[in-house]
Amino acid sequence: MLVNRRLILAHFWLAFAVFGLALLLGAWQMFVRSPLQTWLSNPEWYYRSLTAHGTVMGYVFPTLVAMGFGYAISEASLSQRLIGVRWAWTGYGLLAVGAVMAMVPVALGRASVLYTFYPPLIGNAFYYIGVVLVVVGSWIWVALMSVNLYAWKRVNPGAPVPLAMFANVAGSYLWAWTAVGAALELLLQIIPVALGLKTTIDAGLARVFFSWTLHAIVYFWLVPTYIAYYTIVPRAIGGRLYSDTMGRLAFILFLVVAMPIGIHHTFADPQVGAGFKFIHSAFTALVALPTLLTVFTICASVEIASRLRGGRGAFGWVRALPWDNPIMLAVAFSFVMLGFGGAGGLINMSYQLDATIHNTQWITGHFHLIFGGAIVIMYFAIAYDLWPHLTGRAFTDFRLMRAQLWLWFIGMIVTTFPWHYVGILGMPRRMAYYDFTNPALAPEAIQVTISVIGAVILVISGALFLTVLIRGQRAPLADAGPYRFSIALHPPTTVPMALNSHGLWFALMVALTITNYGFPILNLAVRSDTSVPAVYVGAQ
Amino acid sequence: MSARELFSLRNPHTRTAISVTVFVFVLSALIGFILLPLAQPHLQFAGLWDAICSAAGVPRGTSSVENAPAAAPVSKVVLTSGTLAHPSQQSIGRGATLAQRCAICHGPTGISRADSPNLAGQYAAVIYKELSDFRSGARVNAVMTPFATNLTDQEIADLAAYYAYLPRLPAYHPEPQLKPTRIVVYGAPTRGIAPCGSCHGSLDNKTGSPWLEGQSAVYLKAQLEAFASGQRRNDISAQMRNVARAMTPAEIEEAAAYYASQPAEVVKAVE
Amino acid sequence: MSLQADDHHGGAEIAARTERRWAMISVVIIVVLTLLAVLAGLHQVTMPQARVETTDPARLHLAGEFVESNLGTEVGADGAVTVRAIGQQYSFTPACILVPADTPITLRATSADVVHGILIQGTNVNTMLVPGYISEQFMRFSATGEHLMPCQEFCSFGHEGMWGKVKVIDKAAFAARAKAGGRLSCVGE
Repeated sequence: MLVNRRLILAHFWLAFAVFGLALLLGAWQMFVRSPLQTWLSNPEWYYRSLTAHGTVMGYVFPTLVAMGFGYAISEASLSQRLIGVRWAWTGYGLLAVGAVMAMVPVALGRASVLYTFYPPLIGNAFYYIGVVLVVVGSWIWVALMSVNLYAWKRVNPGAPVPLAMFANVAGSYLWAWTAVGAALELLLQIIPVALGLKTTIDAGLARVFFSWTLHAIVYFWLVPTYIAYYTIVPRAIGGRLYSDTMGRLAFILFLVVAMPIGIHHTFADPQVGAGFKFIHSAFTALVALPTLLTVFTICASVEIASRLRGGRGAFGWVRALPWDNPIMLAVAFSFVMLGFGGAGGLINMSYQLDATIHNTQWITGHFHLIFGGAIVIMYFAIAYDLWPHLTGRAFTDFRLMRAQLWLWFIGMIVTTFPWHYVGILGMPRRMAYYDFTNPALAPEAIQVTISVIGAVILVISGALFLTVLIRGQRAPLADAGPYRFSIALHPPTTVPMALNSHGLWFALMVALTITNYGFPILNLAVRSDTSVPAVYVGAQ
Repeated sequence: MSARELFSLRNPHTRTAISVTVFVFVLSALIGFILLPLAQPHLQFAGLWDAICSAAGVPRGTSSVENAPAAAPVSKVVLTSGTLAHPSQQSIGRGATLAQRCAICHGPTGISRADSPNLAGQYAAVIYKELSDFRSGARVNAVMTPFATNLTDQEIADLAAYYAYLPRLPAYHPEPQLKPTRIVVYGAPTRGIAPCGSCHGSLDNKTGSPWLEGQSAVYLKAQLEAFASGQRRNDISAQMRNVARAMTPAEIEEAAAYYASQPAEVVKAVE
Repeated sequence: MSLQADDHHGGAEIAARTERRWAMISVVIIVVLTLLAVLAGLHQVTMPQARVETTDPARLHLAGEFVESNLGTEVGADGAVTVRAIGQQYSFTPACILVPADTPITLRATSADVVHGILIQGTNVNTMLVPGYISEQFMRFSATGEHLMPCQEFCSFGHEGMWGKVKVIDKAAFAARAKAGGRLSCVGE
């Protein structure tokens, strides 16, 4: 049962409110650098918007969704009132304060360094301090997830941890550890320089620290989506989860290998040795495994739902699925985008193929498709699924939900597919305007224009989403009953300890961090000749 | 159900997990550190240990190379954001005294009556660099070179501090403000020209780039033409020559005229 | 429709077997992909640079490999072609890089200030320029022509104006120009 509904709703409302604002900025960015608009007379506005958009979409929005969903999972799956509610509100408050503190200098144009804040470019110190506070707020959530699971295990010794909570805690541990990289970069390198305590910084080491966070943060974003795949979708469409064990394995694999692979983000960097680039490449190949397992398990679970409805034939069962159910639509769209985005990811992780598209618009297209598409569409589904239980009111407008999901899917495809293509043509990232009159760049013009149309569709879909949520807050009161997760086809009565706890996996993740990151970091950290002068952005 | 049971090698899951992890790590390390480096014949390693260290990323100093001889002296100034960032009052005072001899051309208030640059309120790093370059011969000017030859480092720093401290006053021959043209606002991306303001202060200041508002149009045009022809060579690593060469003569005129017509007060204050 | 209790063991075993089979297939896919990467590395396709080399970005113009007079395309005594370039806010030097077609070329580049990127459009020559470190890439152009060469990483507010150019000319024409020695480039052409 969900007791602390206001806490959970607070997280979701703040998440979706800032999401809406950042979405508008994103659409403006697409428009303003396209052939449809004259070039910005002040390119700094573009970079300012880019910083705000990236910071909110990357650090604030998904963190709040994971936290809110995590509290809901903790209460509903463990049937246990949340322990540490005051701490939870403190974490929320810290995150909100941090977000505001970061956004003020950005809005004033004092920290247009982009959300990847690659030094030696340095912006206003409060931007970075704000980001640190956001992370610290989320670490409180991590601690609470751990505490709540531990308390439940004390009361239920030997019992299988519900899959949703098992995955939720795994995701929280992954986040806690992966955030350390950017935290080290910010606390040890960037903030001292931003405050004027130091004037030089090792730009290469900073990029290595950031790469520690940069890959696994997308898995932190992904965990709520995958939890929804395993524990919401089968139940919502009237089926069963094909395999509880495979689910646990998938989240365990994410916990171990999602993080020590970040150096594939520095494939093209000169400060990392080729040997480590290969090791990270090999482990990156491993992280494709849990997604492949998940695709199978979820497709099988969906097929179960269809057969239970009378679906027949090798492929004909697809037609018998409950397509009027928004959750069914969401998972289908998510899988299509996951397929394309995942294929793009396989390309990015192969050094030779990556060489062609590194830091081109292909990369931007890729992560919008996989994160903005496959992952966020399930965030919508999670919100739709939880809303009646959080608000105590009944949804009636399934048609609006379906329209919103259709528009998001279509919008994302229309936005990102041409985006991938211009990346192959060599269009570089992060420029405020492009000279489409140059014959070498002219073929990109139509593609970029199509992406703008996609962006408009996405804005409409985002507005519809918020409309549905607002209407859900005002709908007539109705008890939605207890919140349930999907049941496995063969529910486990006992689970091996290794699949019921996180200690071993966390230890492996830390061990791999030492082997995969230890030397690359120490190698640079002990040297004094690799620090370069800071360049303060917006200094006049 | 204890942690000890989980973390023991007797637990088959633990054994499998650790062995798979170790196996993947060792195999990928062997491939990445030994097989792949040695399989590339055009990389000359001094043996296996050298190959392993290089693959690990141990920094090597650059091998000594035969440099092509320099055609003419270039700037020897090292500029960072910290250069002359916090001048002392004494430095400014000394600079005031030294600047008396500069006033003949550059004006007693640092605003020139002739076509020499207005120095009042110019970034300290800029004045420091130009004087140093005149002194070293990286920049040559019949009038400035004799003035600069005998200056010491401290005197150059003092002069720079003094002029940076002066208020920006309007030029002696202010003109009606022109609208900026394309080359000034947008640059010309595919010709490799960024907007002027991205270095020269209205968008951002790159250390060593002067702000240009209210400077003499004749002076600005002459400098751009000197960069374009290669006659002026004290821009570090040819960064201004890259820009000026790509500008058309009309664009040079427009840019010079635009900046000359702008009031100096619009330049944002030095922080 | 409910699941019969006596189906439980049989069904569970079938499910477990199917899962194992799919897991095996997944592992095989991944191993094949990794093997492809290894094979690619063994056959002299583009590889990460072999060494980490450090340098001082604020002093590039004073001494060392990246002084202004040494930038551009050099033909070594052994005929090896090396291009040296620097990226700075907001241009590359040399702004136009001249190279011969059909020749192995080594590109050595670094940044004089912040992180830049260097991408030769229409090719897979694509690397980061991180201040303090030297980037090295091997390249070979099979056809003559011109390529735009943008900076692909945000380097502050003039980033959108940072475009260089690469001009690939016929081997013989290049050799004729290289006879005079020194460092070649196509600036001003």
